Amino acid sequence: MSIRLQLLLVALTTLVLPWAGCEYARELESALRQSQEQSLLASATTIANALSAQPQRVFHDLSDAKPFSASAGDLYVYPLLTQPLLDGYRDDWGIAADPVPLPTVTGYRARVQAGSTERFLYLYAEVDDAHFEAQPNNAPPGQGRFDRVDLTLQGASADARSNYFFATSAPGLIAAQSVVKGDDGTLRVAAEPRIQAFWLQTSMGYHLEARIPLSFVGPHLWVEAIDGRGEGRSGIAPTANPEGGRLFFTTAGLDAMLSTFIRDGTRVTVIDSNALKLGSAGTLTATPLGESEDKGSTWYRFFLGIDTSAMPQVVPAADHLSGDSVRAALLGLPHAQWVLVPASRELLLMAAAPIAIDGHTHGAIVLEQAADQLLALRDRALTRLFNLTLIATFLSVIIMLAFATWLSVRIGRLRSAAESAVGSDGKIQLHMPESASSDEIGALARGFERLLSRLNEHTQYLRTLGGKLSHELRTPLTIVRSSLDNLESEGLRDDQARYIARAREGTVRLQSILSALGAAARVEESIKQSERVNFDLRDLLSSAIAAYRDGFAGVRIGLELPPDACFARGAPDLIVQLLDKLIENAVDFCPRGGAISVRLVRSQADYLLEVGNDGPLIPAALMGHLFESMFEQRQGRDDKPHFGLGLYIVRLIAEFHGGTAAAANRTDGSGVIFTVTLPLI
Amino acid sequence: MKKQIAIVEDEPALRENYAAALARHGYSVKTYGNRKTAMQAFHTRMPDLAIIDISLEDEAEGGYDLCRDLRALSAELPIIFLTARDSELDAVSGLRLGADDFLTKDVSLPHLAARVAALFRRIDALRRPDNAAEIIRRGSLSIDGDKMQTTWNGVAVTLSLTEFWIVHALARNPGHVKNRQQLMDAANVVLDDNTITSHIKRVRRKFQHIDAAFDAIQTVYGMGYRWVE
Repeated sequence: MSIRLQLLLVALTTLVLPWAGCEYARELESALRQSQEQSLLASATTIANALSAQPQRVFHDLSDAKPFSASAGDLYVYPLLTQPLLDGYRDDWGIAADPVPLPTVTGYRARVQAGSTERFLYLYAEVDDAHFEAQPNNAPPGQGRFDRVDLTLQGASADARSNYFFATSAPGLIAAQSVVKGDDGTLRVAAEPRIQAFWLQTSMGYHLEARIPLSFVGPHLWVEAIDGRGEGRSGIAPTANPEGGRLFFTTAGLDAMLSTFIRDGTRVTVIDSNALKLGSAGTLTATPLGESEDKGSTWYRFFLGIDTSAMPQVVPAADHLSGDSVRAALLGLPHAQWVLVPASRELLLMAAAPIAIDGHTHGAIVLEQAADQLLALRDRALTRLFNLTLIATFLSVIIMLAFATWLSVRIGRLRSAAESAVGSDGKIQLHMPESASSDEIGALARGFERLLSRLNEHTQYLRTLGGKLSHELRTPLTIVRSSLDNLESEGLRDDQARYIARAREGTVRLQSILSALGAAARVEESIKQSERVNFDLRDLLSSAIAAYRDGFAGVRIGLELPPDACFARGAPDLIVQLLDKLIENAVDFCPRGGAISVRLVRSQADYLLEVGNDGPLIPAALMGHLFESMFEQRQGRDDKPHFGLGLYIVRLIAEFHGGTAAAANRTDGSGVIFTVTLPLI
Repeated sequence: MKKQIAIVEDEPALRENYAAALARHGYSVKTYGNRKTAMQAFHTRMPDLAIIDISLEDEAEGGYDLCRDLRALSAELPIIFLTARDSELDAVSGLRLGADDFLTKDVSLPHLAARVAALFRRIDALRRPDNAAEIIRRGSLSIDGDKMQTTWNGVAVTLSLTEFWIVHALARNPGHVKNRQQLMDAANVVLDDNTITSHIKRVRRKFQHIDAAFDAIQTVYGMGYRWVE
């Protein structure tokens, strides 16, 4: 893993900042929520206490404890804000709730809804009846079969009931009809013009929108839709259910009173013990979750959003309230809770407090508040925090990355310098990059420099060792040899002469060893003394190779020259020495019967002098060291001393001429080629 | 009367060996270990020939100073440098100070004796007024083998003993290539190839000093040198 990657990973740990920020924001939000809950609950309790002091302005009937039952025909009467038009449509009622189905046993379906203005009760019924049976002319029920809706109203007293029915020969505006017994005892139909209705025929059946003066209306009523063909009926009839459906009115004037209690953004609703709304005031300014004003704040909710899955959900209804808080309040316990309205994805705070009169809970007051303000506050804080920490993280990652890149570039530079410090020609690059820096990398570079300078000293020592040795050993050798000379001159016996001869052989060998050891030093010396002249390489080569052919009779030496003269500038004597070394080397390694090929090629910038032989290939590991001083890997033994100076001398001479020396294996593996480049003039 | 040779050499064993060998050849040999004792003795009596090492005890270049002093005392005294040093620079410095020859200690005792004899012979030849000596003439070159004198266009070329013998060997058979070994044999010296090369170079330079167009010594690469007329 690269340093860059490592530091990048380390830098990623700064992501803990936004995380911590989020946690903090969550806690903040939780605390805010709790305080909002408490304050709203306190408001609710206050209002409840105020209302319980004047129960008559809140409740119609404090005694009615029987629960609301739609199946028993109970109807909630929605307060209507405007006078609806009698047209068979309830669009103008402004009520979101659908009509409630009437109980049926036959499968004949009818739905009904009630509303009231100050003067009228409006009834709306939807009856599914594919076949319209018209009322024959003023026929009373029982005479002739026609579709009708029975309506029985209870007057002020429980006994005074008025039976009406709605039927028509043709859809349109109609009046309620009632059956009266004529003087002759026959039943006939009388219209009640004060109860108006509109019969609207639809593809599914018919709608009936009726308007009844409130003076006709008592606490109970019976509504039943009857199919003219006798196939079914839906609703409740006085005969079957003598008690009838009850009407649950809102409390007049309560809205106005409630509106004095609340401030903007809060909705207050008073419910009775059935949770039916008695009155409400105020509007919620809720904005659905995920649609807050700041678009940028929505994306982080993706992973920071309020967890709504565990939140209780409340389906709002037009006629009643529901939820844990409502249930708790109706049991007499104040309660506040955050709820989600799934349809609109609104988050609401509901606080409900019981309205108790004489220790008995008759209803509750429910305050609702949108989470908007809270959310906005939280969003702002969180977004800001989140953005800041993200920017900080981003910056720190960038900085870390840049730093890591810088580090790895420096280390890379140092590494490549270290790798190439000892060149293929054995030269040591003493200066390391970064060595001026004061940090650890600089220390490392300086360590490298120290190491290299020691290596260089050692190399220098090796390089001069031969010369020194040969110089230092020369005097004792001379003593030995001159002593032998003297001894010989004294006149010797034969056996003594034998030993002397052996000793002399030894000194000769020692002499040649010393001479070989000092060769490089002498070449360096003569390079210093050399004068450069222009000479023809081609002539030099052809003359020298001819001499080698005589000198090394055992090997074939091939020569390939360019057609034209090849002038070079330098010391021809040195070039001959270079050639000597290359040829000696080639002869040493060339197998018996092998050939040595010498080639001179003129390239764009250089002369290439190639000396190849059929000898064994050079292992790759040695390739870079061949031209170093005192480098000797010769396996075989011969009578000549080898100190690995021959190719070093080649290099010295090539470099003196501004050229290079290199060795390579032939591509076909048939041998090796030593190439010396010499610049053109 | 025996010719007297002074050997100034700080290495006693070597000194004694040289002395013994030269004594065997009939010379009277005096040996000195350092410059001071040598100079004291020379002031009393000049030797007929001096063999000097360059580094003398604590004086790394004491031999040079000694050579200079000796040359100041006598312009004709043959001086041979005999040293373990074999660098070009040493040789050039030594010869420039007026030494007649510069030998490395590789030289064998018989070779040394031959050189000493040659130098004495030259002294004798120079002292003989007029003799019909063996003189080689090759165009502008003239070599007096006895006096070991070389002239080019009549101008004397001052060559060291080794250089003289090299020129002599080349000029005797013009056109013949002399390889390095042959030149060494002729010069009574054991040298490595580089030293021969630098001798040749020096010889050319000395001739070119007189005649810039001098081109009589030709290099035959890989083989040796030849004299061309």
